Amino acid sequence: MSDRIRALLTRRRATLLTVAVLLCLPPFYLDAFWLRIGLFSMAAAIGAVGLALLSGTAGQLSLGHAFFLAVGAYGYTWLAGDPGPGLPTALAVPLAVLMAGLAGGLFSPVAGRVKGIYLGIATLALVFLGHHVLLTAESVTGGFNGRSVPPLSLGGFTFDAGDELTVLGVPFGAEERLWFLGLALFALTWFTARGLLRSRPGRALAALRDSETAAAVMGVDVARHRSAAFVVSSMYAGLAGVLLALAFRRVVPDYFGLVLSVDYLAMIVIGGLGSVAGATAGAVFVTALPLLMTRYADQLPLVAAPGSAEGAVGPTEAARYLYGAAIVLVLLYAPDGLHGLARRARDRLRRRRTPTTDPTTAVPSPPPPAAAARPKEHTP
Amino acid sequence: MTDLLDSLLGGLALGAVYALVALGFVVIFKASGVLNFAHGSLLLFGGYLVAVLHDDLGFAGALALAVIVTAALAGAMDRFLLQRGGHDAHSAHVQTIVTIGIDIVLLTELARRIGGDLLTLGDPWGDAVTELGPVTVADSRLAAIAVSAVVITGVFALFRFTPWGLSLRAAAEDMEAAALMGVHLGRVRAGAWCLAGALAALAAVFLAAFPAPGLERTTGQIALNAFPAAILGGLASPTGALAGSLVIGLTEALVVGYQSELHVLGEGFGDVAPYAVMLLVLLVRPNGLFGAKGAARV
Amino acid sequence: MNDRTTQARTTEPGTAPAPPELAVRDVTVRFAGLTALDGVSFTVAPGSVHALIGPNGAGKSTCFNVLSGLCRPAAGAVTLGGTELTRLAPHRIAALGVARTFQNIVTTQGTVADNLMLGRHALTRAGFTASALRLPGARREQREHLARARDIAELTGLGAHFHSPVGLLSYGDRKRVELARALCLEPRVLLLDEPVAGMNAAERARTAEVVAELRAELGLSVVLVEHDMGLVMRLADEVTVLDFGRPIAHGTPDEVRRDPEVLRAYLGTDATGEDAA
Repeated sequence: MSDRIRALLTRRRATLLTVAVLLCLPPFYLDAFWLRIGLFSMAAAIGAVGLALLSGTAGQLSLGHAFFLAVGAYGYTWLAGDPGPGLPTALAVPLAVLMAGLAGGLFSPVAGRVKGIYLGIATLALVFLGHHVLLTAESVTGGFNGRSVPPLSLGGFTFDAGDELTVLGVPFGAEERLWFLGLALFALTWFTARGLLRSRPGRALAALRDSETAAAVMGVDVARHRSAAFVVSSMYAGLAGVLLALAFRRVVPDYFGLVLSVDYLAMIVIGGLGSVAGATAGAVFVTALPLLMTRYADQLPLVAAPGSAEGAVGPTEAARYLYGAAIVLVLLYAPDGLHGLARRARDRLRRRRTPTTDPTTAVPSPPPPAAAARPKEHTP
Repeated sequence: MTDLLDSLLGGLALGAVYALVALGFVVIFKASGVLNFAHGSLLLFGGYLVAVLHDDLGFAGALALAVIVTAALAGAMDRFLLQRGGHDAHSAHVQTIVTIGIDIVLLTELARRIGGDLLTLGDPWGDAVTELGPVTVADSRLAAIAVSAVVITGVFALFRFTPWGLSLRAAAEDMEAAALMGVHLGRVRAGAWCLAGALAALAAVFLAAFPAPGLERTTGQIALNAFPAAILGGLASPTGALAGSLVIGLTEALVVGYQSELHVLGEGFGDVAPYAVMLLVLLVRPNGLFGAKGAARV
Repeated sequence: MNDRTTQARTTEPGTAPAPPELAVRDVTVRFAGLTALDGVSFTVAPGSVHALIGPNGAGKSTCFNVLSGLCRPAAGAVTLGGTELTRLAPHRIAALGVARTFQNIVTTQGTVADNLMLGRHALTRAGFTASALRLPGARREQREHLARARDIAELTGLGAHFHSPVGLLSYGDRKRVELARALCLEPRVLLLDEPVAGMNAAERARTAEVVAELRAELGLSVVLVEHDMGLVMRLADEVTVLDFGRPIAHGTPDEVRRDPEVLRAYLGTDATGEDAA
């Protein structure tokens, strides 16, 4: 048994290493367009994972995610910039994330007591009030035109196109450099979110979603856990906001509207509520789709190139139709989203490969939290 | 003093229109447990129909058709997309998110058609005003108050005196028991959605009428302001929604009216005042002003 | 709670200190003008099995909701040892070692292991930060408690299903998951709400056996709501009979069986025989 687990662990480690290496390759082969897609997807994935924890795992609907992205983005810009305290940028990143968490904490009197879909309406307030503040607090936010974002420097290395840098014969501009930053932050997100989901707090949150009563009599402090889920989700949103700000190099209020919140909700619904991998897949889908459609508009049927005659279906609109419809279809026909589809496909494949013998392996969907000890992986 | 009266009348008119929208939220919520996030685009859809039809059919004809078609669209949405999910609490949550998906599609389509235009609805009031003692009021506002009062009275009569209203109230109490007692939940729901759609289309006319410049693609977003109104009322209470709408309408109008005294809050605070009020109320009463705390259910 | 944590870890079966006395005094509960419980009093002696019986709607589940803090009585008090439970939130009552099951199965998504580990919630401490960063302390705690949860799964006959999703288990097994989850709290008082309802004869016998074993080995107090009179008569030391929210009889199973009030409440059916439901 322990041999099997060890074999499994090393196999998992090998898979992890392969994925990590593959993710490091794009900057050497792809141009800035694709790197930007990747970068925005990574930022979105970080935010989506946070929302998945809150809405998917804890069952608390939030339409206020854009607000916390804004707190992270503007928080970083203000903390590291002028006007602002002008702190070292490396310090401004964690502080901006903490600011987002603090903002989530300040909302906890509502987030701890208002539950489920009702919280969705309460959080609408955050988006609208936040947008109003971004427009009016000009000395901090720069008002309607926003502010430019100071590039991040880590120990003398700056994530922008400034000084010439060539790695393995490839010139490293801002996109190439930020790619690795995004990758590191995304890895951190993946690591921490999976850790949370598979341990005591994650189980408590899932219990809250499935039955508040059962959770309470099992000793879960309902209000405290609801608030904590909100704070954690805000911190991931803040981190995503920082990365987005660095990638855009400018923050403007209109980006952080209700539409952005709805985008994040679309990501986690399409990906499959409550799983880190699903949220990531959904984030890539929702982020990359409009960008890809814009790029290939002239080759797509029914889609007009951007800026063509009024009333034609532009690529942004086409993308919105697609993922609006995707939300409806996913929820009606595949409630566990992309993640569930992938899992079912994998199970079907595996079942075809390995005739089941042991009764415990006849289980159609292996439980995600027990992945390390999954008996099915190793059936010869 | 005149300023105050001005603001109060404006707030009353706005509150009356919000009440049409908020009643829609409440009716849908009572019948199906769903929060309809597509309500804004339904409203915009109704307004858009009036805008494109009034040249041919005249205002009254266009409005009548728009009300009917919007009601049908809302009913069809519920019947063909939402009701597939079932009638329990969990599916109501899923269906709420489905309405967000529907909203994305519908809103994108309408925004694409409207573009950056301001559409006129050809309403009979135009920019006419009436002198009421010391204050001057736009006729459209008086019409909004009068029409809303009549329609809302009608809706309350529906609740109270028709078999449908009785079924709706029974379903809101306890869906299972209602179903066992022979209430056809599907039909009650469809009726509620149609009613809500009709109310939304009607509200669109007043939201786009003078002194508003016309129907824009963002008009639907104003409908979202009725969410705070419905929440203040506790979501399941039509009377509460009515009261909540008036509170929200008056707050918004007063904030706009006293903009200069409230400049600390920033320009345009009136637009977001409903949400500030909602947050304050939720802090004190998480279940809304009129909402009762639900008994713990397993 | 901290001393409970250590106590739970060190307690060996059979050597547990006697649980404190659970006393219910004049508890009255009203819902919108309806009196669900009317001056109910009874005492659960340490280490005994106390059954609450009565026709449907007699207020048995409401009584459980009061005991576990889900429902606040209009009057009266519940004390566990020297602690008054009536003013405490449900999670605080759980932390004192009061665990319960539900009449209709209430499990959460995920595996049996996940559900059982939820039962360990009050006994563990890993917070959001420690879990997110996978700190060694949090991982060790998880490992230790998972081992204990596995023991409890074996004890309740769920060992083979430990990593199966709960949704795929049979009805009887899911009912057992609830029992096992409650046991994972290392309770001093266990509230069982119809633990064998809907089970077949073999499953009933198995559950009865487990409850009897638990009581003998762990010395915990059990409050039992059950319609299966055979089970009640076999397991209970004392019985309280409720009817329309009022206690109408109290005593040993034999005394209660002969009480004329009880027979009337059950509409003349023989209370000792069949399932009274």
